[in-house]
Amino acid sequence: MGIKSSVSLYSLQYQYLRGNMDLDQIVGYIMSLGADGIELLPDQMLKGTPNPTEETYAAWDKIIEKHHPGLACDDIFLNTNLYTNRTLTKRECIDLIKQEIVMAHRLGFKVIRLVSMVPAWILEPCLETAEKYDVSLCIEIHGGLGFGVPKTEEFLEEMIRLDSPYIGIVPDTSIFCRRPPRVVDEYCMDIYGTNPDLVKYVNDVFASGKDTFHIRLENNGQNPEMDKYIKDPAKDMFYAANCDGYENVPLSVMDPFAKYIQHFHFKLYEMTNEGVEYSMDYEEVIKYLHEHNYNGYVSTEYEGNRWVKPGGYIPEKEQVAAHQKLIQNLIRKYEG
Amino acid sequence: MFDNNVFIPGTCHNVEEDGKIIGYEMDTHITYYRGIPLSMINFLAVEVDGVKVPAENIRFTPDHIDWFSLDEMKTVRTIKWEYGAPGTVRVLQEGGLSKGSHEVHLTVCTRTAYIPVPLEGNMTRTVVIE
Repeated sequence: MGIKSSVSLYSLQYQYLRGNMDLDQIVGYIMSLGADGIELLPDQMLKGTPNPTEETYAAWDKIIEKHHPGLACDDIFLNTNLYTNRTLTKRECIDLIKQEIVMAHRLGFKVIRLVSMVPAWILEPCLETAEKYDVSLCIEIHGGLGFGVPKTEEFLEEMIRLDSPYIGIVPDTSIFCRRPPRVVDEYCMDIYGTNPDLVKYVNDVFASGKDTFHIRLENNGQNPEMDKYIKDPAKDMFYAANCDGYENVPLSVMDPFAKYIQHFHFKLYEMTNEGVEYSMDYEEVIKYLHEHNYNGYVSTEYEGNRWVKPGGYIPEKEQVAAHQKLIQNLIRKYEG
Repeated sequence: MFDNNVFIPGTCHNVEEDGKIIGYEMDTHITYYRGIPLSMINFLAVEVDGVKVPAENIRFTPDHIDWFSLDEMKTVRTIKWEYGAPGTVRVLQEGGLSKGSHEVHLTVCTRTAYIPVPLEGNMTRTVVIE
């Protein structure tokens, strides 16, 4: 019991895409790092989800029996924009979530991570199915889509109203960035030609204890100071929009919701040579979870793989190994 | 961000059917990190030596079982383009690509459920037809 370590298979997605590792090898690699469990995106490494064939299920069972990973979390998505000419109706969305619950149960998961922006109204109609299959539905609190964003707030209100052990949250440490990811800064300057003064402005904002997401949120979507540094939209707009996906809030934002935390995404942009993550202070996060008696997994989610220059080596295995070493050491330090 | 997924090197070649070259095709990975139904492919575009291919000449298959035009894909919900499984983009053009070197540009654009902008990936490769 207590805090356990896991790795989201998202972290090794290019190993899978390029055929370097299959699902069996990826799970085996993660367990060889001393992790307690795995987190899966079924849409990523299983075929035919949310209704895979018995053959696919049998192959999954074989992998689980071979490596014995704890099954930390099942990351699901709701394709509300499945069609271009309309948004899915409530009935269609609820039916899709119910199918995901049944699949999560069959795969052996007890926690579903609903991607940010899943509407709160799916909860009550899906609760009976969640209870029947013993799977909880937890919204991701991600940078740029976190506390204060209307759809997330609606979800939290509904979670509190329904007050069920089958509804919770999955915070993502992208809301606790003390510096913006350096790999993103370098990628955008090198590949898109982003204005270095814009990058400096964003870094200065974080150094002052704020973030660009909240400046915009608190100013009706405006940030005229930042706009001054957008010299060429073709080079600068992607970076400007992307940096609003990182927040710099204190851990205390979780205080009112601590009892609802059922899983935790430990984002990883870049492990430095000093053995720490460049943007986030994982010691403060583990300490917080220990002090709040958190009982669940914390899952490495390596996203630095997106920010490797074309043709460059993507160090997924090395970064995940270094992050797990850090996390497992911190868990030992605080939990004994 | 997903440019590296687009247009797998060495896969572009002319396609022959019943003794005739009916066009050319190339393989590509998805511009996303998970599989999606084909209806969520926003568009595919091909440009050869700076000239855009008419959209109606483009066909796609995620598995070499079923082929669809871009218009037809809009309603395909049960067939998915799986992550890690290359799809094939074919351009119907009698005679295919002529002998010699061509700059072939492929764009793959997908819609996602929670990211407000579609995810577009682009890649140009030099293709030599012998």
